Amino acid sequence: MLPLVLLTILGAETFEEQAKPILQARCAGCHNARLKQGGLSVATRDDLLAGGQTGAAIVPGNAVDSLLLSLVMNGKMPKSGPPLRPEETARLRRWIEAGALTEGEQVVTRLVSEREILAPILGAKCFVCHGRREQRGGLDLRTRASMLKGGKSGAAIIPGQPEQSLLVKRIAAQQMPPPALQEQYCVRTVDSAELEKLKQWIAQGARADDEQPAKVDAKNDPAVPAKAREFWSFRPPVRARVPDLPGRTPVDSFLLEKLAAKKLTYSTEASKLTLLRRVYFSLTGLPPTPSEVKAYLADTRPDAYERLVDQLLASPRYGERWARSWLDAAGYSDSEGGVSSDALRPTAWRYRDYVIRALNADRPYNEFLTEQLAGDELFDYRAERPYSPRQADLLAATGFLRQAPDSTYSTEQNFLPERFDAVAAEMEILGTAVMGLSLGCARCHDHKYDPLPQRDYYRVSAIFQSALDPYDWRIPNMECGGVGAKCEEKNLRFLPDLESAEAKSVQAHNAPLEQQIAEIEQQVEAAAKPYRKSAETVDELIKKNEDLRKQVTELRKGLTKLRNSLKPTPGYRALFDMGGEPTPVRILLRGDPNNPGPLVAPGPPSVLSASLPNYEAIPPPYETGTSGRRLAFAKWLTHPQHPLTARVIVNRIWQQHFGNGIVKSAGNFGKMGTPPTHPELLDWLAVEFVESGWSLKKLHRLIVTSAVYRQSSAVSDAALTQDPANTWLSRFPLRRLDAEAVRDAVLKTAGRLDETEFGPPAPIDVKPDGAVLPKPGKLGYRRSIYVTQRRSTPVTMLDAFDAPFMSPNCIRRGESIVSSQALQMMNGEQIRESARYLAGRVIDAAGLDPAGQLERLYLTVLSRPPSPAELTAGVTTLDGLAAQWRTHYTANPSPEPIAAKAAHMALATVAHTLFNTAEFLYVD
Amino acid sequence: MSTSRRNFLGRMSDGLYGAALSSLLAADALPPAYDLRPKAPKLPGKAKAVIQLFMNGGPSQMDLLDPKPLLQKFAGQAPSRDLASQIRQVREAGGIMPSPFQFQKHGQSGIEVSELLPHLAKRVDDLAVIRSMFTTHIAHDFALFIFHTGRMLPGRPTLGSWVVYGLGSENQNLPAYVVLDDPKGLPINDIQNWQAGYLPGIYQGTRVRSEGMPILNLKPDEEYPAGVADLSRSMLHRLDAAHRAGRPHQPDLDARLSTYELAARMQLEATDALDLSKESEATRERYGLNDDATATYGKRCLMARRLVERGVRMIQVFTEGNVWDHHNDLKKNLTYCCKKTDQPIGALLGDLKERGLLDSTLVVWGGEFGRLPIAQSPGPTAGRDHNPSGFTTWMAGGGVKGGTILGSTDDIGYKAQEDPVSVHDFNATILHLLGLDHRQLVFPREGRNERITDEYPVRILSQILR
Repeated sequence: MLPLVLLTILGAETFEEQAKPILQARCAGCHNARLKQGGLSVATRDDLLAGGQTGAAIVPGNAVDSLLLSLVMNGKMPKSGPPLRPEETARLRRWIEAGALTEGEQVVTRLVSEREILAPILGAKCFVCHGRREQRGGLDLRTRASMLKGGKSGAAIIPGQPEQSLLVKRIAAQQMPPPALQEQYCVRTVDSAELEKLKQWIAQGARADDEQPAKVDAKNDPAVPAKAREFWSFRPPVRARVPDLPGRTPVDSFLLEKLAAKKLTYSTEASKLTLLRRVYFSLTGLPPTPSEVKAYLADTRPDAYERLVDQLLASPRYGERWARSWLDAAGYSDSEGGVSSDALRPTAWRYRDYVIRALNADRPYNEFLTEQLAGDELFDYRAERPYSPRQADLLAATGFLRQAPDSTYSTEQNFLPERFDAVAAEMEILGTAVMGLSLGCARCHDHKYDPLPQRDYYRVSAIFQSALDPYDWRIPNMECGGVGAKCEEKNLRFLPDLESAEAKSVQAHNAPLEQQIAEIEQQVEAAAKPYRKSAETVDELIKKNEDLRKQVTELRKGLTKLRNSLKPTPGYRALFDMGGEPTPVRILLRGDPNNPGPLVAPGPPSVLSASLPNYEAIPPPYETGTSGRRLAFAKWLTHPQHPLTARVIVNRIWQQHFGNGIVKSAGNFGKMGTPPTHPELLDWLAVEFVESGWSLKKLHRLIVTSAVYRQSSAVSDAALTQDPANTWLSRFPLRRLDAEAVRDAVLKTAGRLDETEFGPPAPIDVKPDGAVLPKPGKLGYRRSIYVTQRRSTPVTMLDAFDAPFMSPNCIRRGESIVSSQALQMMNGEQIRESARYLAGRVIDAAGLDPAGQLERLYLTVLSRPPSPAELTAGVTTLDGLAAQWRTHYTANPSPEPIAAKAAHMALATVAHTLFNTAEFLYVD
Repeated sequence: MSTSRRNFLGRMSDGLYGAALSSLLAADALPPAYDLRPKAPKLPGKAKAVIQLFMNGGPSQMDLLDPKPLLQKFAGQAPSRDLASQIRQVREAGGIMPSPFQFQKHGQSGIEVSELLPHLAKRVDDLAVIRSMFTTHIAHDFALFIFHTGRMLPGRPTLGSWVVYGLGSENQNLPAYVVLDDPKGLPINDIQNWQAGYLPGIYQGTRVRSEGMPILNLKPDEEYPAGVADLSRSMLHRLDAAHRAGRPHQPDLDARLSTYELAARMQLEATDALDLSKESEATRERYGLNDDATATYGKRCLMARRLVERGVRMIQVFTEGNVWDHHNDLKKNLTYCCKKTDQPIGALLGDLKERGLLDSTLVVWGGEFGRLPIAQSPGPTAGRDHNPSGFTTWMAGGGVKGGTILGSTDDIGYKAQEDPVSVHDFNATILHLLGLDHRQLVFPREGRNERITDEYPVRILSQILR
């Protein structure tokens, strides 16, 4: 404790006295003026202010935000040697808090740059009224020039004279931002540090930064060393020579070669029935019906299996099954998330439907991606009305990068940090789902492992700036409120489709309801009139007048119900170019909107670009114009030579079929990802995929007709020792049904599945016990993909079986084995109800003969007939159960007939038991 | 057999694998296993379990545990610009508002406690009161995410998930991480207050209701008659045994079978653990179960004690919705909240101590932020708006030095001044008391070692450790 005491006596708070001895001893080994590791020297106070690659090392007066302190306090620094002692960090903290002075200094003065004023202060607090969309009082505060020009009351700034500048005067008097509008416009009062900075900037002459975005030559980029480009996944895939080993397809040749090296081969071929159940679940997510089982068993043609595969790929159920996998990667959700109200997204389903349709139509993957990234740039979306079905599809497709949680619909969370978070989540989805890169890691600093400089994160986000501009933000949902709070099209991040037939029918439905609502509001207004003295709102009045409150409450009864029965305006939760010049994009040091760094231009990551044509955004030639940035990006991304695009998608499809991808870390193909188990196979598949026209159906067909897919899941003794984790696919992996397949299969076998396609999702109910289920009734039995997916209330049964929480997306699902699943299957009323239903169906189809009933039940639930032994045991159990139920009903009489009910319940009990077997839940 | 090799394919399970599995473990590097078996902490920690008494809404520090006599002097004055820049409801903002409540010193430590908390006041010598907490968001939703998960985004694991990930549970027949929510409503962010985020789902909190069926699907709506249940069980056993026999070397199938056994054991043990009729009348009276005002919260505090006795690792007790969010009529509403919780909390602390459990049970109290020293909607029914810059929490038991005050706010209770304590410091200290190092408790994900304190600067609150 001695140093602290001394310090107080001396009272010296300068760099030389306080910080230098510590920094020299502990940090200068690497961070000296010569070596400057990470760009940082600690030799002088000004070196610390200048900082390194991750920004300034210290923020005078603000220890909490000083990088130096946070790194030494959490033990990140020094990298070698013991951590700093608490008294040492205390000294540093104290020196920073005291203003980080250097010898001979009183207060730190440094030049304030325009960028510190524009984005974090004026951008956050003024642009909403004095920016791109509105210039209230004729004032635009976006540039120095426009500030000098000023508005109706004159120039906003007078360089050199802060106290005379209107901007300062208005802010200092707390007239601006107007207190009465702050809440509605999501801005806060300018705080004293910000005001001080603004004054300094003006006092120093209100200098403009003369800065151009740095040029990046992707082919010769000092930020990305040539060696880093050599990493396997950053080089374009090359079709590998197919090994000379016979298999059903070239896929097998690659796999068998690796197995042979371990003296292994495939397991035996799976039985016809095993393969049938497997491929049904794989391609459609549903079990075969008893007649489908019988038909397949009866088909003795040599290519019966291939015919079945074609039939399943052509089934509309295929798109529903595989859309789920894409929607996981896209982070699909029917709600905004982020905040507790978790507002619903009433039109998100159009994107879900787009995906299902596109997959069923086998839209080539390159087009599929282009439509999702830049559908609005493929035609003149502003001019064309009504949209043709194709155009509507293109707009729906852009819902892809509108799936991330977005809390900015709440006026309390529509500030810069939340807006940047919403953008970052979309970038993360783009990175992991499409590019196999953890792009999000480069938001706050250069990527720690991959050659992704922080600059490249901001370059990619600049591609999307014309649609997602944090300084010109639009709230995510269609309801009015929030910024602007005016029901104008220009304020919405939503494209209404007002001229479609659907819109007309919605208008016809809503018009009488809207009239009723208007009438009620008129009555309320009439009741309030006598109480009003000035311009108070009704809500303000009823706080003061109990009588009025009673009247208004009475009048407004039923208003909520009326409002809830209004149908949402049809339209698209689209990502669209908002027109005009977006705010320039700057690197945010440490990801902090208050800490803007150098300007960047839009562009893709440099490390991937060496083998590709240059990225160049050419605006489409429309009158109204879009920036063309995303269309150019899509073109770059879907170039046949792109190192990652094809690899990432074929790997994920592989993962869905076999549980693991060839690259196990399916969302990360970077250095910290898992290296591919079969690199040649991955590349061969990627090239084959591109050369067969990016067809996903062809890829599926190739995989499921290969011998690797058709082998049994039995584990041989050799495989057990040589391939315990099934890395080399020495057998087909035995796998549990995924969440949707469990629920859909129960409903389907019970004959309850409603196979209606498309449209708004089935509503859900939260029960008093916390269980969340689809609302019973007409829509309650739709396939799980058509059930509302609200982040805050996941459907209990799907949640129990690992349906993901989207935050922001899911590249690979967990596969848990937990007791809540057992409790759900044993005690859940939906399962029991389905079992009773199923028993009824079986009796309808098979009559009263117990053996016939069991035969039918096994075929329905397990897709196979019972063995003779199972049949004998089953008949005995059925008899016993019927007797037990008869005893039960006799002891607890009800008006219903006992024997019939007991027979039905006995069969229902068996059905319920079958739902609980491992055989039902697992696919061999 | 090392734990890290128990589970093929990195799957997770709350059940115990069959012994036969050990023969399957081969030399290949296998991914880590995730389960809930008890794990010894790496560091010595006094606490074995945590009870988090969470007060969603933001309890008002200057009316409960952080007395500010100067508020009286400045009453009615306008706030400073910096305070003003934090106000959300600008139109409703008033001047400085003194506390309507009286404070008195209590216990040997002489810690000052508001008249609203007479039962807690008797326990002050067990408390470490932290008066210098701060957080970084002003809205409930985000502040809750920050408090429970360290970041203002949904989708990250909560403290409780990290705790059971690090330590497992002493009782395999009960959920490791129990959430006792109020029958009158869930806190803001609902179930996301106990989510496992990117940690495996077994580390998620399990909601245990104090009324009706305690755990979802623990029992069916209507039980099968005993004879039916027996036949069904033996049929299932027969079918699964045959299925299993035909599929050697499939560990998932064993794991699944064990979940059925666990489900059956849980039905018995959870029912017993939550059966408060087994408690004496004196205990019921002590927790306030006979008084309508305290009964629901008292019930859950008593359940928390019974669960701790049975080896449950992490328990969160919530109050109804965000009932501590006193934007208006602070005087009436804060009185209601304190009346509801004070006696049960006092009883819980006393009861744990008498049973010798307080040394091994860490009890923590607090909300997601505090409240401003100025009035909101001034007048007789004034309230206070949110304040992330300064608020009060406390810890007791589990290695905490009782009778301590840590840190302070400024003269008016607005901003943490001495020894500011971040949410990360707070959570890391809880882990420390459990013997876990927040820097070591990591979960590998997409090439990154994730942890609850992320990259934030963190210090362990050594002043409050015994």
